[in-house]
Parts: sequence; C-alpha cells; structure tokens
Amino acid sequence: MKKRNPLTRISLFFNMEIKGLSYICNSISTMQNSAKLRTLSFLLGSFFLCACSSSYQVVKSNRGEYKLSKDLAVDSSIIRTYQPYKLKLDSQMNEVLGYSDNELTKKLVGGESSLGNFFADAALVEARKTSPQIDFTMPSTNGGLRNDLPLGAITLSNVFELMPFENELIVFELKGSDVQTLLDYIARTGGQPVGGLTMKIKAKKPVDVRIGGQPFDPAKNYSVLTSDYIAGGGDGISSFKNPVSSKVLKLKIRDALIQYIKETKIKGVKISSKLDGRMTND
Amino acid sequence: MINRRKFIKTSGIAAAATALSIHSLDALANGELKHLTILHTNDVHSQIEPFAMNGGRNQGLGGVARRSALIKKIRAEQQNVLLLDAGDIFQGTPYFNLYGGELEIKLMSEMGYDAATMGNHDFDNGVEGFYKQLPHANFPILVSNYDFSDTIMHQSTKPFKIFNKGGLKIGVFGIGIELKGLVGEKNYGNTIYQDPVLKANETASLLKNEHKCDLIICLSHLGYKYSDKKVSDQTLAENNDHIDLIIGGHTHTFMAQPQDVKNRAGRVTTINQVGFAGINLGRIDYYFEAYRGKKLITSSPYMISDQLDS
Repeated sequence: MKKRNPLTRISLFFNMEIKGLSYICNSISTMQNSAKLRTLSFLLGSFFLCACSSSYQVVKSNRGEYKLSKDLAVDSSIIRTYQPYKLKLDSQMNEVLGYSDNELTKKLVGGESSLGNFFADAALVEARKTSPQIDFTMPSTNGGLRNDLPLGAITLSNVFELMPFENELIVFELKGSDVQTLLDYIARTGGQPVGGLTMKIKAKKPVDVRIGGQPFDPAKNYSVLTSDYIAGGGDGISSFKNPVSSKVLKLKIRDALIQYIKETKIKGVKISSKLDGRMTND
Repeated sequence: MINRRKFIKTSGIAAAATALSIHSLDALANGELKHLTILHTNDVHSQIEPFAMNGGRNQGLGGVARRSALIKKIRAEQQNVLLLDAGDIFQGTPYFNLYGGELEIKLMSEMGYDAATMGNHDFDNGVEGFYKQLPHANFPILVSNYDFSDTIMHQSTKPFKIFNKGGLKIGVFGIGIELKGLVGEKNYGNTIYQDPVLKANETASLLKNEHKCDLIICLSHLGYKYSDKKVSDQTLAENNDHIDLIIGGHTHTFMAQPQDVKNRAGRVTTINQVGFAGINLGRIDYYFEAYRGKKLITSSPYMISDQLDS
C-alpha cells in the first residue's frame, strides 16, 4: 500500500467560499517529488490560512427517545397557559349524552365492527328523518372512526374524539354501475362501515349483496348516504363523481351522532350496537 | 425515562469507526467536538393534556406540560438545541374543534419550537383556518413542495430555514404529502402539490452547495413507508444526495430505533418518527468536527449509537 501523503485527500477540484468570494483550487492529488511537495505545501498552507471557512462534518450520532409518562415533571407555566381553555372546554364536553350497553370498538370482525355499525346506523336514522328514500349508507371509512366509544356514559367529548371532523352528510342518487364500484371498494378493503346493506366478501369481491333486504340490481339506481369527504374522492373512492343527483342535508355527521345518542337517552334506552353479520369476510 | 437501547452499533452502511480519521477519534476522546441536539415530535394532533385514564392503550401518556418541562431540562443541559415538528399539529381532540388550533400553536411557541412543517390535518379548517392561527406562531412553517401562491398563505411559509448553532449551519426544510384524495378539495383550495422527491433534492442541494450547510434535516409528512408505490420517507431516503435526517410523520409509526438508509450518494440518510400525540419526544444528537481545511472526503461514515451520552 502506498504511504500516506498529506495531500492524498485533497480532491482535484473544490470550491471554498471566503467572504462571498469563490476560490478554486486546483491541486494535485499525489505528489512524490519532495521539492515539488514543499512548494505546493507552502502554497496550500497559505491558502488554507485564509480559507478557514467553517465547515463541519458529523463524526458521531447518538439517538434516544423519551416516553412522556406520569413520572415526569410538569411545567406549570404551560398549564397556566392552557387552563382557561380547558375550563371552558370541560364545562361543555363533560355533558353526558347517553349510555352504551357495551364498548363500541373499531375492531373489524369479518368485515364489520361494533363502532362502524353504530356509526352507520345512527347516520342513517338521522338522515332518513328528512330523506326517507335513502337505501343504504357508507358514511365513513374505517379510517374515519377516530376513537372507540366506552361502555356506560358517553360524553360529548367522546363523540368529538370519535368524529372530530366537520364533515357533512350528502344523499346521492347513483347508477347501479357506480354502486357496484363502491361495493367493489368495500370488498377490496375488507369491509367498511355500512347501514341498510348486507353482503359477503369472498376473495375480495362482493357477493350476496342485499340492499334494504332485496338483492342488489345493477340496472337500478340507488339512493346512497355518504359524507362530503368520501363524495369528494377521499380515500381514493370515485363512485360519487358522476351521480344522477345529490342533496346536501346540512347535517354534520357529528351532530347526527350527538342527536341519535341524545334520543336514546330521552327514550330511556341504552345504545346496544353489536356485530350482526351484515358484512362477512371469508 | 429514556428508552436505553442495549447495543451500540456502527453504521449499518459502512464500518464507520475504521474509516474515521485519527483526528476524529482524538477529538472524540478530548471532547473537542461541536454538539447539536435535535428534539422532535410529529402528529401531536391537538393532544394538549395527557390521554385520559379510560383504560385505553395510551392512558396517562403525553401532554404538553411534561413535554415542556423535559425540553427546558434538556435546553439547560445542552447548548445547541433544535426543536422541530413534522406536522399534523391540528385535529384529534375537542381543543381543535372549539378553538381552531389557536392553543396548539400558542403552546408550541411557548415551548420554543424552532420550526414545523404542515400535515394533511393542518388543512382541516381549510387553508384559511391554518392561516388564521399563524399570528400565534413565533416559529416558521417550512414547506418546499406546496405552492401556496394562489392562496391566502402566499407569504406564510418558507421552503427552508438555516439555523446557526454555535458555528454550525443547520439547514431545515419541509415536505408535505399529496393532498388530493386525502384532504377535501375545498380545504386545500388552490394549493399546488409538487413532486416531493424532486423538490427535496432541489432544496437539499441548495442548502448543501449554495449555503454550505453542515447538516441537512427534512421535516416530512410523507409517511414512513407503504406497501404500494406511494412515495414515502423510505423513497425519499433512497433517492436523495444530501439529506442527513428525515424527521417523519403521518403514519403514526412508533419506531424501535431510527432507520439508517443508504442514499443515492452512498451516504447515510436517517429516518426517525415518534408515533403520535406527543407520547414520545425524539432526540438525535450529532457531534461534529471541523474540517480545518486539511481534509475533504467524499463519503463520511460516522459512528452511530442508539444510546444517548447524557
């Protein structure tokens, strides 16, 4: 191996910025002749004396992570900043809207979830008050269900955490072919929250689809309830791009859920949304 | 408190220690190195308070009051600290629904965030909704691949910022995710999404070659990785020349340790992401030595340890 020479690492061409001026230094990468070397060293030496622009390179990196658990200290000045916001929020959010018989979770079992069923049924019930013709609904994707609902008291805060978005409900009249692409999407993605619709998923395809209890007829138009998010192409769904007609209900999804839960409380019943086999997946 | 990782590894890409110059090792031993500490969060999603004690998986974790105390403690110990966020500041608790993100931004300003990028949920109240909260921010919003020229935000963001920390030049820039299909069309309005890999390389190259930055950090909301071909931090890491660190978000990924990827130039691009909701605070420390004009090497492997020195 060649003996190390102080000049071996100097690249052939390099730029250095000195107070806005650019100097180009052409140097020779290896030099064996000692006289030449001395001369060049001198030249380079003076060059580097003035070329001491700050450049640094990483020689080491250490990484770690802190978990923010309850044994950590708190910054009371930060708490003072958010306290007034918290008090106002808590007074509104701790209102109990109703009660649930069971925990409603996002966990998919054969294409359906207890939370998805509740969500879709509640949206359907509330929307049908003004649009009784609705055949079925897919008001959200599974990804849109942001938090589970607890067993027992359901507060306004719980509903905000489940549905933090400001999305609205829209009713579409769709051609059978567009309904088919929606059913295909539902099947391909392993099941989505639906109401008024039952189907089996076999090899990622929809089969035995029944809408309002009747077999799905691709030649028919259907009235479908969904959100402005899905209708706008959210999560890659394009089934609502060319509807026969549409009607904005001026009802936010969250408000529909709140209304639905409050009504159960008024009736003196508890929410009891269970898996009912509306969507199976083999 | 610190998730101590059990082993020290050299770079997964090169046997770093052997490639270091004698001077580097001397400097390491003598402590003649410049030290930079990067603290980071992503997808905090309006989690002001710790998660409620409701039996959930994350109960009792997180909260800005703890994060702030921890940041203050680290700042008291370290001279050169950068505190960064990779987007999705908004949405997730009623604090956002009630106050529109005002409190989130105010608290980030109070904690001394140095920069943040935008996530898709930061558009949840429209471009106007984000714009409205910017007077509460004392830190810049960095995005290099959203063109806001035809929106109310045309003067509200910067593609990058260069931080001078104890003589070190640190270039930080932001990259956002494709909005179509993810954000309602009326919410992003006339915002134009530009190719993230292209813009990232353009910006990183500017920071490296024109501005001579010593370290380049990308705040990315692309997401860690996907099973399909959707562009991710993984894609960006493999297809860039100058990024040292990608602080990621969007996919809410809890990484066991940062990932070191060999980039297009054969150097290390590290990806890190710390879950979501401020459950964790990430920390990456870099130690630098001066060139002192005596050496310029084309690739620069360095020692990597998944354990902090202090």
